[in-house]
Amino acid sequence: MKLFSSSRVSRFSFASVPERVGWGLLAAALLLYPLVLSGPFYRDIGVTFLLAAISASAWNIVGGYAGQVSVGHSMFFGLGAYTPLLFYTLWGWPPLAGLPVAVLLSIGLALVIGQPTFRLTGHYFSMATIAVAELIRIFTGTWDLVGAAIGLQGPATARSLWDLTFRSELPYYYMFLAVLALLLATTAVVERRRFGFYLRAIKASERAAKSLGVPVRQTKMQALALSAAFTSVTGSLYVIKTGFIDPDSGFGILISVQMVIVAALGGAGTLLGPLMGALILVPLQTTTNSWFGGGGSGLTYILYGGIIVLIARFVPGGLFELWHRVAPHFRTRAHAA
Amino acid sequence: MVVVQVIVGGLLLGAIYALFSSGLTLIWGMMNFINFAHGEFVMLGMYVALLVVVWLGGGPAVFGIVAACGLFVLGVGIYLSLIRHVIRGPMLAQILSTFGLALFVRYTAFFIFSANFVSLPQTSLAGTVKIAGIFLPVAQLVAGAVAIFLTLSLHMLLTHTAIGSRLLAVAEDRAAAMLMGIRPDRMQALAWGLSAGAAGIAGALMATAYPWSPSVGETFGLIAFVVVALGGFGSVLGSLYAGLIIGLIQAVSAFWLGAIYKDIVVYSLFVALLWLRPQGLMGKV
Amino acid sequence: MKRTLISVAAGLAAIALAAAAPARAADTVKIGVVFPLTGNAAAAGQASKAALEVAVDIINNAHPELGDLPLAATAGLPNLGGAKLDVTFVDHQGNPSTAQQLATRLVTEDKVNALMGAYQSSCTFTATPVAERYGIPFMVGDSSALNITSRGFKYVFRATPIATDYARTYMRFFADMKKTGKRIGSIAIVNENTDYGTSVGDAIDAEAKKATMPVAIRIPYSASSTDVTAQVLQLKEKNPDVVIFISYTADSILYIKTMKNFDYRPPMVIGDDTGFSDPSFIPAVNDIAQGVMNRSAWAIGKPGSRTEKINDMYKAKTGRDLDDTSARNMQGFFVLAEAVNRAGSTEPDKIRDALVATDLKPDQLMMGYQGVKFDDTGQNVLASTYLIQLHGTHYELVWPQDAATGVLRWPLGGWTQ
Repeated sequence: MKLFSSSRVSRFSFASVPERVGWGLLAAALLLYPLVLSGPFYRDIGVTFLLAAISASAWNIVGGYAGQVSVGHSMFFGLGAYTPLLFYTLWGWPPLAGLPVAVLLSIGLALVIGQPTFRLTGHYFSMATIAVAELIRIFTGTWDLVGAAIGLQGPATARSLWDLTFRSELPYYYMFLAVLALLLATTAVVERRRFGFYLRAIKASERAAKSLGVPVRQTKMQALALSAAFTSVTGSLYVIKTGFIDPDSGFGILISVQMVIVAALGGAGTLLGPLMGALILVPLQTTTNSWFGGGGSGLTYILYGGIIVLIARFVPGGLFELWHRVAPHFRTRAHAA
Repeated sequence: MVVVQVIVGGLLLGAIYALFSSGLTLIWGMMNFINFAHGEFVMLGMYVALLVVVWLGGGPAVFGIVAACGLFVLGVGIYLSLIRHVIRGPMLAQILSTFGLALFVRYTAFFIFSANFVSLPQTSLAGTVKIAGIFLPVAQLVAGAVAIFLTLSLHMLLTHTAIGSRLLAVAEDRAAAMLMGIRPDRMQALAWGLSAGAAGIAGALMATAYPWSPSVGETFGLIAFVVVALGGFGSVLGSLYAGLIIGLIQAVSAFWLGAIYKDIVVYSLFVALLWLRPQGLMGKV
Repeated sequence: MKRTLISVAAGLAAIALAAAAPARAADTVKIGVVFPLTGNAAAAGQASKAALEVAVDIINNAHPELGDLPLAATAGLPNLGGAKLDVTFVDHQGNPSTAQQLATRLVTEDKVNALMGAYQSSCTFTATPVAERYGIPFMVGDSSALNITSRGFKYVFRATPIATDYARTYMRFFADMKKTGKRIGSIAIVNENTDYGTSVGDAIDAEAKKATMPVAIRIPYSASSTDVTAQVLQLKEKNPDVVIFISYTADSILYIKTMKNFDYRPPMVIGDDTGFSDPSFIPAVNDIAQGVMNRSAWAIGKPGSRTEKINDMYKAKTGRDLDDTSARNMQGFFVLAEAVNRAGSTEPDKIRDALVATDLKPDQLMMGYQGVKFDDTGQNVLASTYLIQLHGTHYELVWPQDAATGVLRWPLGGWTQ
């Protein structure tokens, strides 16, 4: 099995000037985007992009690096989305207060379901994650406390700054960008530490990893917990911005599938893969919906499905792999094979 | 006697579940591969039935056969063009391939057939018979009976024919089968054909009794997963028992606990199975 | 890194195309409509879109045959010098977040003067704050959740009746029936369990309590159920006098067929619009569902009537009769256009003020409302509904008496007629 890891496997350094320039340009592009394209619609797309990038990067930790393809991550997203609005509905707290609690709950959920689910491998594991997420979705639809099928709403107008009900998308954009930066930094640190090596070893071969002394079970659980925490944050951010949640928009299977697809499109198991995937997919979705959506023929999803099949069939390593194949002379370092 | 009525209804539907799950379990057993687009095959079978009725004016027998054959060809085609390649690749690609396929098929169906719910015009299977105080809608009765028959036939095909034993050989040990002169690629293509064909004819059978739209594939796919998990991956006979059991559990819990709880019961069972007994009733681990 | 930057460039290029809209002529009134054109509710979204397109035709072109219907006789909006309506439809795919984003696009990029939408309450919830924020009037055509209009918003209006209206209508109907000697000892409520079914079911439960009407059983179920045998058997056991179904299309058809299969024929069945009004309902179960009742604020009406002409226009376009849901959206659209005309301006605040002052009489409407007048939450307090009954291959208006064109048959015949 090939490892499409970034070229900086053994060293994370800013030694090379081109790389520094590259990072600088990327950071500049992300920071300046909403100021350059300042229409609210464009900023909204930017926010959507950031949410997709954050959730896909969060998934990437356990799904990309460790190779545990969870298709049930919506359970953490939904938990992260419901908790803040529940606190608001029950006690009038600003939704933000629910964010840290949601993170703790998600980590708890990860530990509880990780135990039995990680005993399964490959397709079985994916199947189990889908089942648990669906179960939670259906259950939520029957539970009156969380609004059952009707869902929960956030504050319609801001009561104080803490409500984070901004009239403009700009504050949301920068908040979310900060979270993305934090997540990518965390992933980068993980990548170069032993934990990261354990993850990759598990992905390559669990049996071999175990025989080499890798604490497989523990590592998988930690990866899931970390992934769950950030996915939960994404859910909370989503709900702070959108102001509404119901079982489908919180726990729906398409949410899980989107995380996987965005990460896979860019290159799962790489630092910037999910970001790249989001950069391509979010504008693509918005564009095709704008062009074709009004006609109502569902071409957006036909395209979506088609692209996913093509990637799976021809470039499973995502755009990173495509790049490697197409432009070999841009490679500056040897890759771990 | 209401209880008996509930049970009979559950079993009849369960028989259809068994039929369309039998293909899924075959593939799973042979290739350790889950087809996330399986539900869409059932949905396509339903539309084939509609097209046959509208264009050719055929009855249930005709559209059943057309659905089976058409989907068989589709299954083989999908294997040869897509599955055969991704199966050698990373896990992520395998999972994505059929997910993407499911989206593609579902929304192409939306595009062609629109989102309206459709049902077959009354076929020769209309009406209800009453036996010993139990109402048996003819369409459901025939569908259930045919489904059981076909599932058993598939099981017999696998266990009592030469080609069946070749399929099972590949499932058990691909390398050894190759050494025995069996071509795994061909067998796997055949398995995909059988799987899709079974799903297609199950869809055609369901079309006689229930309305549908392109979105039904998602529900059927999930039911198939539950049935396969219970029956055991790889065992067609297991999926027969499991299908009947799941149909029964659904009906009984809908009646006693309430309709919305039936899904919770079935999914909880599913999760419990995956955690406690992943090999199901009759599967091999 | 290089690849990331290239994808940044690609992404930006795509975004630039995303909001591309062709150049629009001046002197038009722009209205943005957010509907589910794909996904589970696509059938309803498409039908409503077609209805709005017919409405645009009626307003933009001269249709003197429609008599006093506001804006029909003239081409365009008279008070704006004949300015035409220019409607942009967008597809939110049933996703509340997409609905929000598209509403933002319509307001900030397409620069619409008013918005309409969004069918699913979840999508209306998230799209309306955008309208409120930018001060653009939003007409809710058909979303039943109560708190869409209870958030203190000034720019959100709803012309259609809501769940409590329907529930009260049913109770009034039952009271009327009891007066004529029909026995209604108890009712049953069978509702699909997403926000639509749950909110209407809750409303009926609440009103039944107030009217001291016993509810024999309340059955929530999932609309995507393959089989409803268990539910029908439960109903058979409880034996209510009236069963109210709050269902979508496939499940409505399934229930009727299952009831026939199990020979269960309650004295009366009432469908809460939606599934029972879907164009595929009657063809699917017409021979076994005779006498089934439905609620509708829309009726095709007598031959030669205005409503029949409107139906003919819709039928010419889609091949089907206009259904209640699409008709309610169409009515909401007419109300909006009438207000724009009365405002004599495309300025959102003036349109909003005109909406507040709306006071339409029944003969100015295509629906059977008692009028259109908005209270201070933006809800039309004169919205009401008829009850119709399946006679032959059409629904006939049977209640209230003064509007009835057909005779109410009780108990229902089902498959025995």
